[in-house]
Amino acid sequence: MPRSAAFRTSLWFLGLAAACLLLSDIEITTRDPWFELGRMMRGALTPDFFATEQLASALLHTVAFAATGVGIAVLAGFCLALVFHVGAVRWGCAFLRAIHELFWALIFLQMFGLSPLTGVLAIAIPYSAICAKVFAEILEEADATPLKALPAGSGILSGFFYARLPPVWQHMKTYALYRLECGMRSSAVLGFVGLPTLGFHLQTAFQQGQYSEVSALLYLFFLLISTLRLWVRPRLVPLLFVLAILALPPGMPIAWENALRFLTADIVPAPLRAGALLDAGTLGALGRWMGMLLRDQALPGMVATLLLSQVALVGTGLLTLVFFPLISRHFFGPVGRTAGHVFLVIARSTPEYILTFTFLQAWGPSMLPAIVALALHNGAIIGHLTGRHADAIPRRPDSPRGLNLYGFEVLPRVYGQFLAFLFYRWEVILRETAILGMLGIHTLGFFIDNALSQLRLDRMMFLLLVTAVMNVGIDILSRRIRANLRLTVNPETGE
Amino acid sequence: MLKRIGVLSPLLALLAWPAAAQTFYISAIPDQDESRLMERFGKIAGYLTRQLGVEFKYLPVKSYEASVTGFRNNQIQMAWYGGLTGVQARLRVPGSEAIVQGFEDQAFVSYFIANTGTGLERSQAFPTAIAGRTFTFGSKGSTSGRLMPEFFIREAFGKAPDDVFRRVGFSGDHSKTIALVQSGAYEVGALNYEVWNTELAKGRIDTRRVKVIWQTPAYPDYHWVIRGDVDSTWGGGFKERVRQALLSIDDPLLMKVFARSKFVPAKNSDYDPILKTGQAIGVID
Amino acid sequence: MRVFQLQAANVSYNGRRALAEVSLAIEAGERVALVGKSGAGKSTLLNLLYRQQTARCALVPQDYALVKPLSVFHNVYIGRLNRHAAAYNLLNLAWPLPREVEPVRAVLRRVALEEKLFTPVGELSGGQQQRTAVARALHQGGEVLLGDEPVSSVDELQSREVLAAINQDFRTVVLAMHDVALALAFTDRVIGLQGGRIVLDRPTAGLQPGDLDSLYRS
Repeated sequence: MPRSAAFRTSLWFLGLAAACLLLSDIEITTRDPWFELGRMMRGALTPDFFATEQLASALLHTVAFAATGVGIAVLAGFCLALVFHVGAVRWGCAFLRAIHELFWALIFLQMFGLSPLTGVLAIAIPYSAICAKVFAEILEEADATPLKALPAGSGILSGFFYARLPPVWQHMKTYALYRLECGMRSSAVLGFVGLPTLGFHLQTAFQQGQYSEVSALLYLFFLLISTLRLWVRPRLVPLLFVLAILALPPGMPIAWENALRFLTADIVPAPLRAGALLDAGTLGALGRWMGMLLRDQALPGMVATLLLSQVALVGTGLLTLVFFPLISRHFFGPVGRTAGHVFLVIARSTPEYILTFTFLQAWGPSMLPAIVALALHNGAIIGHLTGRHADAIPRRPDSPRGLNLYGFEVLPRVYGQFLAFLFYRWEVILRETAILGMLGIHTLGFFIDNALSQLRLDRMMFLLLVTAVMNVGIDILSRRIRANLRLTVNPETGE
Repeated sequence: MLKRIGVLSPLLALLAWPAAAQTFYISAIPDQDESRLMERFGKIAGYLTRQLGVEFKYLPVKSYEASVTGFRNNQIQMAWYGGLTGVQARLRVPGSEAIVQGFEDQAFVSYFIANTGTGLERSQAFPTAIAGRTFTFGSKGSTSGRLMPEFFIREAFGKAPDDVFRRVGFSGDHSKTIALVQSGAYEVGALNYEVWNTELAKGRIDTRRVKVIWQTPAYPDYHWVIRGDVDSTWGGGFKERVRQALLSIDDPLLMKVFARSKFVPAKNSDYDPILKTGQAIGVID
Repeated sequence: MRVFQLQAANVSYNGRRALAEVSLAIEAGERVALVGKSGAGKSTLLNLLYRQQTARCALVPQDYALVKPLSVFHNVYIGRLNRHAAAYNLLNLAWPLPREVEPVRAVLRRVALEEKLFTPVGELSGGQQQRTAVARALHQGGEVLLGDEPVSSVDELQSREVLAAINQDFRTVVLAMHDVALALAFTDRVIGLQGGRIVLDRPTAGLQPGDLDSLYRS
């Protein structure tokens, strides 16, 4: 691929990431970084499945929140996909999915407290917007020829269900199942803000250094995710959905006046709340308030978020190029490939949030833990997809072996696909980078968490909006680049 | 019409809150190991249930602000708060009241601790040698782990912690602060002296690796805050009965898990210094 | 009664002229074969005719336009989607009713596909798929059938049965065909196209296959 557009773009991103790396804070601040990692390794080898009696209920609630939220999201996303060509719907969805589910949870915690509705909506809202976009893409790319044989006057509904939907039905089912897997990870992470899922106990166990309990929780979680395809049967889905709703934790009843107060008072910028009228003085105060937030919090947060995500994106790319041969038949036999699969499954089933949390314990608070965690998790996801793509390449009996095979035969053929996967992941990585600030890295999430801990919900909301706008911007940019490079296959839909 | 109400009533029961003869929820800021909080507040809930004939339950939360949100949303009726969190909660729930504090909380202090590898020694005066080190607070919303230490740091150096130290972190709780300074993840930290003393007594601190280097001046801290509207739900005078029940605890074991010698009366104005400090640092409007 | 009428019609794709100055009239009851090399404009002409009388026509497109994941029954049932309410159609999608299955079975018998009633179309051979598309048109019924190579993948014997069924059900038939012998056997008028122009328009009677050879020379 000498001097191709893809090659030049790659060089650009590599250079940019190198520059970002120079500006990033990647210091290991612990005096003995391997001490804590050693304790973690010991914990990983000695899982304690009886450390907490709430283990079973935590797993059940993790599944319940995921299944209910994703169930609603798939239905809502499907309906929205039908009207996705309407500009307002498309932009509305872009905005809704630009806010991470953990941020949504923070909002709903303020409105509904520790009610099951909080967790369900936190997953359902961003996931509906994602499903809407992907379902709309699937429908758009679907084979439309059956439509032309419909007899005149067949009606929109009949035509849709007979000629439009059946060709993409299987594809949509596969995607919905993939979303459920993502939903399980999201649901687990929601525990970190207080919902009774896996993350709740994980956080406690981490905080107290009980790594045997951590490993037990994670092992059961991996088991749950890797067996997903065995217990989610198409015919059982309606039953599972109802059971999931019934299995939601009871939580606290909702006080609607709180939700109302949140929307009408708490998130109104302080200067507007204080000022009686919309006069010049109030507007001036509002301007200063926004200027202060932008200068002191939003901008530094954005810079850190962009720096970190840029390094993480390229790190993801580099790790992907190392990971994908691990599961490819071109490079490893059945035993080696199985080991590769196990490694990739673990790396991609562990949410970035939890990976970052782990490395933070060991290395102290810099951008390094977040970069490594993001690159590992996303590299495993794209490595898996690229590996499958590589296996579709026919192998000549006289083809070279080892590095030569990799460099001359395989890599050139999967490179475009690999870039497409990577750019689709860009937006996800950025969303995730912002949220990692909640763990103490100075990205946007750090400032959002600050505002929340001071119960300044107006500032929290303003910073959330800034985050969303930035994500939408990156989404647009990534689409432009993909269009320029003619990379069209979505890793999530192009299975 | 009646039929329709019949159908709706389970729904209404879920939505209407609070209704009569229901559980009284207490909570606390998650300032140390959860297992210790469970023990402490499980015991106090049992005691209050026996004393007052109303079911008291402890609701654990994940963050300081979640405990305030629950209190504000009337999902928690009474909470054990640090000075700052109590002020924040009372600002948001008019009519709520500080009723009882620990005897020791009238003059609470924070400890600054350092990893022994730094060579820092204990001193009477503020240890200005900590400048340029890595430093961890506890939770962002903690009084003894953040607010007061930051106040004294600003007083000593005349600038914000971010400009004083090489790196500033928030460990999340006091137990974790000890663990992080002991392991060397941070060189210096600040925490609640009571948690330090309790962990020290239990032999969970390696004094060869971490030591106290400074004690702050005294300030008022932990106290029970109760919502103003509990009387209307649990009957007139209920708030007063709760206060009396807390003040009359004579079980030394119960006070021991609280790490206090006894409870004494408190009032909102006791915490005015905390409010002023919070405003000075800019965490309260 | 006149069914189709074109007056000096022109069609271009991306600046390439597909039909040029085509004028023609087709009366009810006529059976017309469109012949010519591929690219001569047969499909374009058929599409033009279809757009003129969409409501009266059943169509057998060149690519069959089948819904591959659905069964043969559902694909044939699609021919009558316009006769029922949407809810009834959805019911049949989930749970085919006997009163709809029986007529479809009868149609499939005529194209020798009865045993494939509930087989997904994606699992059928090319010829079987083509016969499914014809069955859909037969099931739809109406006055006019427009077929674009409707028997190109079917063997000679079955082709004759399928074309006979079409002629039996529809009064007016326009078929694009490349098999000249079949065209002469089942139609009564031949329209020859070359480079987007009509170069021949004659009754079938009296024509020999050799008379059309010039159409296939460049």
